[in-house]
Amino acid sequence: MGRIQRFLSALGQPTIYALVHLHRLNRLGMETLRWIFIEPFRGRKIRWRSVIEQSVRVGWQSIPIVGIISFFVGLILAMQSAYQLEPFGATIYVANLVAVSLTRELGPLLTAIIITGRFGSAIAAEIGTMKVGEEIDALKTMGLNPVSFLVVPRFLALIIMLPALTLISDFLGILGAYLFSISALDISSIRFINQTINALVLRDIVTGLIKSGVFAVIIASIGSYEGFIVEGGAEGVGKSTTNSVVVSIFLIITADVVFTALFYSTL
Amino acid sequence: MLDVSTRNIDKKGVVIAIAGDVDLYSSPEVRKVIIDLTNKKTKNILVDLSRVSYMDSSGVATLVEGLQQVGKYGGKLILFGLEASVKEVFELSRLDKVFEIYPDEKTALDHLKK
Amino acid sequence: MSKEAIVQVRDLVTYYGKRQILKGVNLDIYRGEILVILGRSGCGKSTLLRHLIGLLKPTSGQILIKGQDITTMNEDEMREILKKIGMLFQGAALFNSMTVGENVALPLREHTQLEDSTIQIMTRIKLDLVGLSGFENFKPSQLSGGMKKRAGLARALAMDPEILFCDEPSAGLDPVVAMGIDQLILKLKNAFKMTIVVVTHELASVFTIADRIAMLHEGEIIFQGTPEEIKKSEHPVVQQFLNREADDVEPDREKYLSSLVKP
Repeated sequence: MGRIQRFLSALGQPTIYALVHLHRLNRLGMETLRWIFIEPFRGRKIRWRSVIEQSVRVGWQSIPIVGIISFFVGLILAMQSAYQLEPFGATIYVANLVAVSLTRELGPLLTAIIITGRFGSAIAAEIGTMKVGEEIDALKTMGLNPVSFLVVPRFLALIIMLPALTLISDFLGILGAYLFSISALDISSIRFINQTINALVLRDIVTGLIKSGVFAVIIASIGSYEGFIVEGGAEGVGKSTTNSVVVSIFLIITADVVFTALFYSTL
Repeated sequence: MLDVSTRNIDKKGVVIAIAGDVDLYSSPEVRKVIIDLTNKKTKNILVDLSRVSYMDSSGVATLVEGLQQVGKYGGKLILFGLEASVKEVFELSRLDKVFEIYPDEKTALDHLKK
Repeated sequence: MSKEAIVQVRDLVTYYGKRQILKGVNLDIYRGEILVILGRSGCGKSTLLRHLIGLLKPTSGQILIKGQDITTMNEDEMREILKKIGMLFQGAALFNSMTVGENVALPLREHTQLEDSTIQIMTRIKLDLVGLSGFENFKPSQLSGGMKKRAGLARALAMDPEILFCDEPSAGLDPVVAMGIDQLILKLKNAFKMTIVVVTHELASVFTIADRIAMLHEGEIIFQGTPEEIKKSEHPVVQQFLNREADDVEPDREKYLSSLVKP
């Protein structure tokens, strides 16, 4: 084989793999959308009980970890920006900086990354284990669609809960900055709150929530997809679980760049 | 197609006559009739199964439910006229010992009078 | 009673990549019989079974269940057919996140309008039938291998199916427990007049349960007949299988050497 051929095949192989994955992922996405938007009108209802169960897992049970991390990040952000702003005597702008960067960027991103680790990986592991144990086949032979049964409830739970968690994250992050500012920076409580409210526009929060909606789609799709493609027993489940986290985080950051650029340019 | 009709025999007794196949999709009809009667605390419920050629486990389960309900107020639920194939379904789930089963309406009524 | 073919397989051909797994399989399964599909590992018998329950689509050929071709069906039509079919998986394939009772109740909850109280009684009847009464609230992980199979069987029976498929029902079980499962399968056939298709390579259970045997070898059916007939068969592969002879390892020195020193 010539050098050029070898080069092309080295280039082609991963490209083909990527395209195959993309095609299958797209098919899974379409199937999910069909079970959310079309099948309910044909009498095949969404399993709301299951959606609620999953929402409790992804939402309610994640509040402590999301809350604490966001609080700490808010605290860190306040300290770092105070360090920069102090020489100019402008420490009051800590409030602006923290509020805007949390709501627009860090709140959605942090929450998405935590939930990827907590829930995205769990989706991949659960569906993967079910695939290996022939449970997916069992569902099919009972005439139950695995996408409707497993993916749709997790998908909806994430779409609802990730933005909700993001709001909690925003709030607790700002709370961290607030506690630092009133105790260490000689800023009065009222002043900090006023400054924050003046700094924030609704747009900041909304763009953050739009992002977190997109992140939810990524986490749910990649988690489920990695679960369905598991092959080769327990080892395969482990591999897919890891992949789901790596791929999700990569795609989340990529999507973040795109959306931030979009929001920035249309400011 | 399933046909369920009721007929009073005396102040305390009702015969439910079932005709057709009792399966996963038709047994809710049977259940509705039985539960209506047990809600009225009907003392004696006789179920005529002589025109039932097929009964699956949902039918059996429905009758068990009826039996459980009448037990709560001290009533009776009696089956009669079972075809061999239907009787077999009861035997398999060892429920022929649980129900009072008689060959026909007359023997069932005779037994009640005692 | 004339024999009515409830499942008909016609010229079934399937490929896995470039490898041909099934090479034109023809098979009739009659109402009320236990048909055992026998064969060595890798002969395509599991693949055949997965086609029969619609988990795989063939490259060509037809599978008629009660006269309807399932290979060309859409999801809605297939769902109706599947309600009449039960499947026992090799590893039981119970849903580990649910209790045994919820596993059995699931198809009833999803496909029927029955009241929860009725479903609960049905679930208990099924569990009693397979000898698992009282295990309703156990999780599958708390059960032994044989009990899992029984629970899987109870779930397969939930909808009172006309046809029951079993993939290696006695695999991985000790002989006594395996015998118990075989007895249960016989009981189901006799009591419910169920049509039962069993895929296995366990000779002991074949002669206990089979009305008819179809032997699959390298993607082709090489024998069909009763247990008595298979014992008289002179087909070398059938003979080898029944007598548990190992494959001849031909001492081809040249070939062996070249395989070792191949660049």
